[in-house]
Amino acid sequence: MVSITLRVNGTVHQMDVEPRWLLADVLREHLKLTGTHLGCEQGVCGACTVLLNGQPARSCLTLAVTADGADITTVEGLAQNGQLHPIQDAFWQEHALQCGFCTPGFLMTAVHFLQDNPDPTRAEIKEALSGNLCRCTGYQHIVNAVERAAKNLREKSGEKESIQTSTVEG
Amino acid sequence: MTTTKETWVGRGIPRVEDPRLIQGLGEYVSDIHFPGQWAMALVRSPHAHARILEVRTDAARKLSGVHAVISAVDWEDLRQPLPDMKPLSPPALAYERVLYVGQPVVAILADDRYIAEDAADLVEISYQPLTPVVNVEDARQDSVVLHPEFGTNILDYVNFVSGDGQEALKEADHVISATLQMGRVSAQAMEPRGIAALFDEKTQSLMVYHATQSVHRAKERISTFLQMDPNHVHVIAPEIGGGFGVKNGSYPEEVLVSYLAKYFAHPIKWSGDRFEEFLGTYQEREQTHHVQLGIKNDGRIVAFVDTYYQDNGAYPGGGVLVAHNTARNLMGPYRIPHFAIHCYTVMTNKVPQTPYRGAGRPQGHYIIERIMDRAADELGMDRIAIRMKNLVRPQDFPYATGFPGVVYDSGDYPQTFQDLLDIVDVSAFRVRQQQARAQGIRLGLGLANYVEISAGFGFEGVHFRLAADGRIELATGATGQGQGHRTALAQIAADTFEMPLEQIAVVEGDTRRIDKGIGTFGSRTVIMAGNAIVIGGQEFLEKAREAAAKILDVKTTDVVYHQGTFSAPGTSAKSLDWTLLASELQRASHSMPAHEYYFYSNTATYGFGCHGVIVEVNEKTSEIRIPRYVVVHDGGVVVNPLLANGQVIGGVVQGLGSALYEEMRFNENGQPITTSFLAYHLPGAVSVPDIEIHHRNYRAPGNPGGYKGVGEAGIIPSQAVILSAVEDAFRDQGLRLNYAPITPGRLFQAMHREEAKL
Repeated sequence: MVSITLRVNGTVHQMDVEPRWLLADVLREHLKLTGTHLGCEQGVCGACTVLLNGQPARSCLTLAVTADGADITTVEGLAQNGQLHPIQDAFWQEHALQCGFCTPGFLMTAVHFLQDNPDPTRAEIKEALSGNLCRCTGYQHIVNAVERAAKNLREKSGEKESIQTSTVEG
Repeated sequence: MTTTKETWVGRGIPRVEDPRLIQGLGEYVSDIHFPGQWAMALVRSPHAHARILEVRTDAARKLSGVHAVISAVDWEDLRQPLPDMKPLSPPALAYERVLYVGQPVVAILADDRYIAEDAADLVEISYQPLTPVVNVEDARQDSVVLHPEFGTNILDYVNFVSGDGQEALKEADHVISATLQMGRVSAQAMEPRGIAALFDEKTQSLMVYHATQSVHRAKERISTFLQMDPNHVHVIAPEIGGGFGVKNGSYPEEVLVSYLAKYFAHPIKWSGDRFEEFLGTYQEREQTHHVQLGIKNDGRIVAFVDTYYQDNGAYPGGGVLVAHNTARNLMGPYRIPHFAIHCYTVMTNKVPQTPYRGAGRPQGHYIIERIMDRAADELGMDRIAIRMKNLVRPQDFPYATGFPGVVYDSGDYPQTFQDLLDIVDVSAFRVRQQQARAQGIRLGLGLANYVEISAGFGFEGVHFRLAADGRIELATGATGQGQGHRTALAQIAADTFEMPLEQIAVVEGDTRRIDKGIGTFGSRTVIMAGNAIVIGGQEFLEKAREAAAKILDVKTTDVVYHQGTFSAPGTSAKSLDWTLLASELQRASHSMPAHEYYFYSNTATYGFGCHGVIVEVNEKTSEIRIPRYVVVHDGGVVVNPLLANGQVIGGVVQGLGSALYEEMRFNENGQPITTSFLAYHLPGAVSVPDIEIHHRNYRAPGNPGGYKGVGEAGIIPSQAVILSAVEDAFRDQGLRLNYAPITPGRLFQAMHREEAKL
């Protein structure tokens, strides 16, 4: 057993893990954060995507010991104070999920993507989602949702900027 | 006073299911964790056909953290046949022979899956390999018979004849012949199959959490195998991560986990992984058809003759149903006065077939649509004109296709096809196609029609009850796997009870909540459970009025129900809403109104429509792109257009997978060689276009709600329409495609093979 520390969704966890345990299993089995799903355990389907120090990572291809000291965000960490993240809300409104199994991975991928590219084209969204597989939706509504979320996030940050601007001016 | 009544049915509202799922709070089988549970792993056969000589488990048994290593050599109970796979059921664990790669031989129970897999590596099994039978041509010869006690590899033969059958070919001016094939595909839901069970010694009852499409049928199978009183077996389907038909059947893991949880009186969970999903989950589609179409000079179909062989795999598993349903769909939406169909289901050393989304509908339509293309080409006729000539017309309804029990009943097939042609703008496309060709780009147009036959057998029920908080709870045995039934059925109930949606709660997939159920497959749930709500809801309301009468101290006949309120006009009684009714009934210690209603119907529904696709083919790489895909779709009364669109789009994209990429391939030893997402390609976000959907809503005449199925409309003509389009792109070369999927490799071969051309 190796002792590691993970900061998950803002909470610090110290734990003993076997060197071979996958990060996905540690999140799911030990921290009971079962929102991160295992779809293929080969890094293809993307259902297990989490943010590892802000970058999307396949938790099924990451050994927990290598994440020692890392800051991790899972799907459970997206909503804040009972408020859905704009990307979650957009997935809901656009019917971007059916069975919901792949959804956490898509959400985490989209969160990171929109931080990098807040005003993407539809083609760019599809490209960004190309590492995640969905068997139910045919992707179209997921792309719609990311488009909607991008718009909402831009409007939100526009509001913030105008508030900041007015504060400075005032 | 008249007001426009606002209904919930017809509104594309977001789903009530989603808030949990988008926050990672949905509970799937793999998320269930009983304290102290053991993980099950399986040692599966590496051979397609072999005799088991010896199973050595000592080393595995000694590994720390391992609780049991189980083989049917010494566990006779586990030699029992799986229920529901007659006449050739496999044992729960193979013990004398194995008949497909992936068949479970040894089960391991350990503290966790890591240890269980370590132990699996330590199990030593000696096999004597036998000659594998890996295709129907060999299997039909019966030189090696998989099940000697059965005597032949032909599991099932059935023929269907209408009119003069084969004789009618003599009346044709032309007889068009082709051999058309479909490869094997695998459903590959994103959630692999899984099951967890907990035995309670005190009550002697077994709780099973099961990724199944039918909790009641699972309960029946489990209680049969375990020889338990069914009243002591409870099956719950929590969230299910996609089903597509293949989570519906009888599998070894189902009875193994249940049996072992009871035997050891210890909670056990098996969460299949992706490799197991490729090896052990039943597959579909693989068929070879030898077709003849008799046709007049003007393009009118005279007769259709088809002899086909379905590669069923090693055990029944539901494959015969697929083969028969293929026959039912071979007429498509066309008038075929005479036909003769010979349908063989043949066993090979592969994992069994079972219904996968479409379940014969795509196969039947693939054949009729492709042979019509072929006929048009050989007659020098337009592929559109031949279809217009033969489509069932509105004046033909009710139209009996000649297949037992199939009577098309609604819509306007020619007009809908014409609408598609207008939307696609075929003449403008032909101009573009010529211009593109001049620039070295090959474009092709594919068109296909379909009928989506849904429901038409059995029953589905709803248990209504007034909950303590005043909400109306509806429990149904039809368990969804992502379709959004909790929303759609609540919409139907909200209209039935004239109440806000929030006051309805739909409970799916729990055998404790409703006595009987068949399950969700074949696009039947809204048709069956939806109508159970429409009809049974009125009976429940009657019971609620009786309850209200008691509280209001009036006669039941005095109670009027209107928009969520019970009142007794003309009396001094106050009025009650459901919440007040619930609290007053509890205060008075009266029972809450409850009612169970089952909707039985043998009347199928007939949605229909057509697909148009434009493909762009790169001649150098054989890559096929899809710039445009249009669907005109009739789904009867659509409860929630947002969800219906999701079903159709999702179906189309799955269909694009089986038309363009997906094929389970086996080598000459019966070894599957496409057992990961790296080798078996699912469509991804980049490879699929946005699907344009145009709805036509012809109410189903055969059920009160007017609903039709929508889950399969997207996938039915997908293989036909894509192959048609790719051929069209190479019309000048007379390209002929006889095999789906049309992968780049197959297209390259077809382009460079003389016999592939006219």
